Amino acid sequence: MITNRKYLVGVFDDEHTLKDAFQKALDKGVVIEEVYTPYPIHEILHGMKNKTNITTAAFFYGLFAVVMLIGGMYYAAVVDWPLHFGGKPFNTFPSFIVVTIVATILTITILTLFTFSARAKIFPGKKEEIIDIRATDDKFIILLDQDKMGIDKPEVTKLFQANGASEVYEKESN
Amino acid sequence: MNTMEDKLIVPQKFKNLLYGLIGIGLISMVAGFILDPHRAWANYLLNNYYFVSIAIGAAFFGAIQYIAQAGWSSAFKRVPEAMASYIPVAAVFFLLMYFGMHTIFHWSHEGITETDVLLAHKAPYLNIPFFFLRVILFFGLWIVMVRLLRKISLKEDAEGGMQHFYDSEKYSKVFIFIIAISFTLFAIDMIMSLDPHWFSGLFAAKSFIAAFLHGATIITLIVIILHKIGHYKMLNRSHLHDFSRYIFMLSIVWGYFNFAEFMIIWYGNLPEETIYYVSRSHGAFGVLFYANIILNWFIPFLFLMPRMTSRSKLFMVPVIILLMIGQYTELYYYIWPAVVHEAKFGILEVGTYLGFLGLFALVVTNTLSKASLVPKNHPYLEESVYHQF
Repeated sequence: MITNRKYLVGVFDDEHTLKDAFQKALDKGVVIEEVYTPYPIHEILHGMKNKTNITTAAFFYGLFAVVMLIGGMYYAAVVDWPLHFGGKPFNTFPSFIVVTIVATILTITILTLFTFSARAKIFPGKKEEIIDIRATDDKFIILLDQDKMGIDKPEVTKLFQANGASEVYEKESN
Repeated sequence: MNTMEDKLIVPQKFKNLLYGLIGIGLISMVAGFILDPHRAWANYLLNNYYFVSIAIGAAFFGAIQYIAQAGWSSAFKRVPEAMASYIPVAAVFFLLMYFGMHTIFHWSHEGITETDVLLAHKAPYLNIPFFFLRVILFFGLWIVMVRLLRKISLKEDAEGGMQHFYDSEKYSKVFIFIIAISFTLFAIDMIMSLDPHWFSGLFAAKSFIAAFLHGATIITLIVIILHKIGHYKMLNRSHLHDFSRYIFMLSIVWGYFNFAEFMIIWYGNLPEETIYYVSRSHGAFGVLFYANIILNWFIPFLFLMPRMTSRSKLFMVPVIILLMIGQYTELYYYIWPAVVHEAKFGILEVGTYLGFLGLFALVVTNTLSKASLVPKNHPYLEESVYHQF
């Protein structure tokens, strides 16, 4: 993040108070920047409307891998360098399949990893952006961007505290 | 939980329809025995095996749910129980096969051990008395275990408490080993020994997976039908997704086993193994080879993969019906070349299938109507009713 952004951080002790506050904030039209939880929570995933298309991408990587692998093996074994193995035909299709299955899994895994990394902007040696170190342990964090949260600061602070936030504080990122 | 009281009342009209189907089946069988005994016995074996493998697959499914302590499926456990209640009926049919042994199994021909060295070698295992001893033993074990689990399940309805759940889990652990060992041997007896000169290490395991796949498929179909006529009101998309996962996973395993068996035989190229596929590579059987793979693996794999389609009855029901056809073509592909020697398909086949289908449906609906469709005191019932992910 290049520009300085001012955040409002709500800290919650457990899942239930977090879900309550999250739902009430959504109902009031608060724009929530991000929620950090120690484990995935369905209601949060639905509420944030973060739909992922990575499964579709993975399917097409798989399709690509299958075509390339079978095509490549066919080219090597039949077109470019046909060899006789004990009376077998050049196109030993059933024996290509084993290689195809294994290498397709590998291709999907690696390409999906790269896609995810690119999409989430993470790379080796990246400096971590931790809003609140306790979110990596057992606390639940709701993060609001003060410039575009769509509600006044005191009001949202009150909302969070009324719904069981153990702490609400401001933070600037750099 | 009074709202969960859910009893199936089978309408007389539906019963009459099933009696009609059984009648069609009887007429087809009798006509078959008069016109073409080979075909009739092949039909008899195919449909017998078809429905007993579904029943065994369902029993296995039920046992797995107990062992895994699966919550989501506990409301539907009466369906596998009801399907397993077909096993005693199938036992009678398999014993009646005694009269068709010489038509179906050519290892049972008199004097064949004197001219055929391999069959003489296999004679201590493949002989008629021992064959029927095994049939009695396997069916005896299955019936005892299925009855036991059903009895505990009904007792749980009446008495409640955790003890019945623990008992079910304990006996299920025994049951899966019984099924795994006995059903693989059963598949060797009934299907693989049609070609007694053939060798394959994976055939029995593949048959077992096919039974589990098609058992899970029919469970799903019955649950969807019951939901459609107004039972199982709590059935939601999450339940459907879990059923789809079973079908999806098992069809992949089926495809894997089917391919592994074929690949090894194709690559090894030993005459005593390849003969099986060579004799099934011409005409209609050559088409069926690919039809099996498309119906049992490719279509479920492709259509149940996306989240949207695997939670929708609109997609699941056609896939299930294609899988039912897939099981038929698979067995047809095994049995017909060995017994009838050519691909004959007509009214006899359809009629016999309808007859067995009617009988199966009659037994299943009869058992379903005897107890509450939703078990009453299952510890995971609440979890199943509000299943959501």
